[in-house]
Amino acid sequence: MTARWCGAWLGVCLIAAAGCRTRDLSAVERSPTAVAREQRLEKALADRNAGLDGQPIARWVLPAALREISGLVITKSGNLLVQGDEVGEIWQLDYRRGILVKHFSLGDKAQRGDFEGITVVNDTLYMLTSNGKIYQFLEGAEDAHVPFRMFDTGLKNMCEFEGIAFDPSINSLLLACKHVHEKDVRDAILIFRWSLAGDTTTNRLSKLVVPLGNSVLGSNGWKTLHPSDITVDPVTGNYVLLASLEKAMIEVTPAGEVVFVRLLARTHEQAEGVAITKDSILIISDEAKQSPAAITLYKWPLR
Amino acid sequence: MGFFTRLISYMSFGSSHPLRRLATYYAVLLILGFLLFKFVPQFDSLLTGERLARLADPPSLLQDGLSSGQVQAPAADLQSRLMFALSTAFLLLSTLAIMLPVTWVYMSARSGHGHNQSVVQALIVLPMIVAGIVLIVSNSLALAFSLGGVVAAVRFRTNLSDARDIVFIFLAIAVGFADGVHEVTIALILSIIFNFVLVIIWRYDFGRSVLEPTAAAEWTEPLNDLAGKDKSGNKVPDRDLALALTPKKVEALAERFDRVRELLGPNGKKPRYNAIVTIATSDIAEAQKNVEPALDKVTKRWKLDEVVTNTGKPSELYYIVRTRKSVDRDALLTALRTSGNGTIENADVEIGDALAVEKVEEKRERKKQEQDV
Repeated sequence: MTARWCGAWLGVCLIAAAGCRTRDLSAVERSPTAVAREQRLEKALADRNAGLDGQPIARWVLPAALREISGLVITKSGNLLVQGDEVGEIWQLDYRRGILVKHFSLGDKAQRGDFEGITVVNDTLYMLTSNGKIYQFLEGAEDAHVPFRMFDTGLKNMCEFEGIAFDPSINSLLLACKHVHEKDVRDAILIFRWSLAGDTTTNRLSKLVVPLGNSVLGSNGWKTLHPSDITVDPVTGNYVLLASLEKAMIEVTPAGEVVFVRLLARTHEQAEGVAITKDSILIISDEAKQSPAAITLYKWPLR
Repeated sequence: MGFFTRLISYMSFGSSHPLRRLATYYAVLLILGFLLFKFVPQFDSLLTGERLARLADPPSLLQDGLSSGQVQAPAADLQSRLMFALSTAFLLLSTLAIMLPVTWVYMSARSGHGHNQSVVQALIVLPMIVAGIVLIVSNSLALAFSLGGVVAAVRFRTNLSDARDIVFIFLAIAVGFADGVHEVTIALILSIIFNFVLVIIWRYDFGRSVLEPTAAAEWTEPLNDLAGKDKSGNKVPDRDLALALTPKKVEALAERFDRVRELLGPNGKKPRYNAIVTIATSDIAEAQKNVEPALDKVTKRWKLDEVVTNTGKPSELYYIVRTRKSVDRDALLTALRTSGNGTIENADVEIGDALAVEKVEEKRERKKQEQDV
């Protein structure tokens, strides 16, 4: 009797285990609101008159957990990853439908630090802290705690970093300085290039100084620009930088020539992250200030 | 219901063990649930607690910051409305299925004195109502406050005498909440663990003070005296009788035992009394006056044992007596009836007869056995 009972229960447990499913977001993604949002975005992208005068085509208000949103990155598969400022937590957003897809964090307990930017090289993600430390890790599943490797660029004394991007043409990470400690480059934008091919700090590191001059600074009344993030235009290969303090966007060539400088709309109270998708959408993230944190989508290039 | 009971019996290999039958019931539930979710995948969200996740986590669908309001979603079609209705019905039925074994356990564990039928019915209905309320409130703060106001207006105060009843009610509320937020899995696991723990606690009388004797320990001897005998002559205590007795009845029974003991006398000695005389009369005082002198004459000794006063029928006087050998039963009864002068309606001699018959039978059996040998 007991053996038959054990056998019967083993069978039931196996059936129950087979019936277990993991939860997915398909219901939310298929919801009428999400479908309507995507249709609206597709329509705006196809419409020539949409997004004129720098009008956004979508804006998604972020939850409180992302109130200190900092960097943005578009992965190889076209997903948008965003990161928080103080804790090593990464969120995936569906920017077309305005859906929070998943969340994962660095280390067993979410790593604390002043994280300022995020970028991706193939499948490997890199996050940069303001004191020049780079965290390397792979994308995790929902609620995963991913292992990471951390290395120090040793540039802590040179400047305070605020953005990171990857330039595939030179296989280097671009580290944008917000506050430059060197006096002679204070009226310029300083970007460090950290080669992924090198093996020592000396042969990895190079500098790109973008002189701003009077045409940029004087006409806008700025003494200098304080970049808050950097990204690479996937079509032109130019570098696009945001300056949160000056509420400005500047595009420069990899050689350091300014292509354009443009003021951001007033709605961008504290623009902290920028990314450009392959289907020509510019995404800007704003930290919560007077308004809640949000990401705003524009047609790229801006008109 | 009969088919279902037979199914449970068949699947539990005919076992009447409560734990096995419970396990079988839950196994049937799990298999039914598995088949349902296998063939109707739309019910998946009810099992995975998607709604609870939506309530607890940041909203998956972000707020549209560009439009003043949300993008107008297309009106729900008939199919989605039907699915909503079906899923709601499924949730309420699953609440019923999960709570049924809880009521069985309640009825088993709280049978007799502590059993309360209204609690049993509340255990079935309450979680359904709670689930319904949670479904209505969803994540709307306004609705929650409205509900609070409505509930405050309804006076629903019932004192439950036993803390265990309150625990059952709490479980009912928890199951209702779980089902209301589409966490059928949690509700099921809650019910399974609760029931098994409770059955085990009940079975092994967990938590009883070691200083307090159990009813069984206290009443073993009197119950054995009450017990019948099987073919081999072993005493078979009537357990059902013991379980059915209330403490008051047990005390009354003990008093009777004492009387019988007095009647039979101490072991190995001749009993002081050997019969009970029952006198039925409508005038107790007059009957006593008449009967007691007669008892002096026809018995060796007597004692008034009990006076039972009845309304609507004759009252009864019980005397325990020691009969004289020279006065047989008929002579004793005739003497009592004639002494009554019309005040006695009936007279009878009870136990003495039975004892005499028993002794005669014992003698006969002994003789038979001797002859056989």
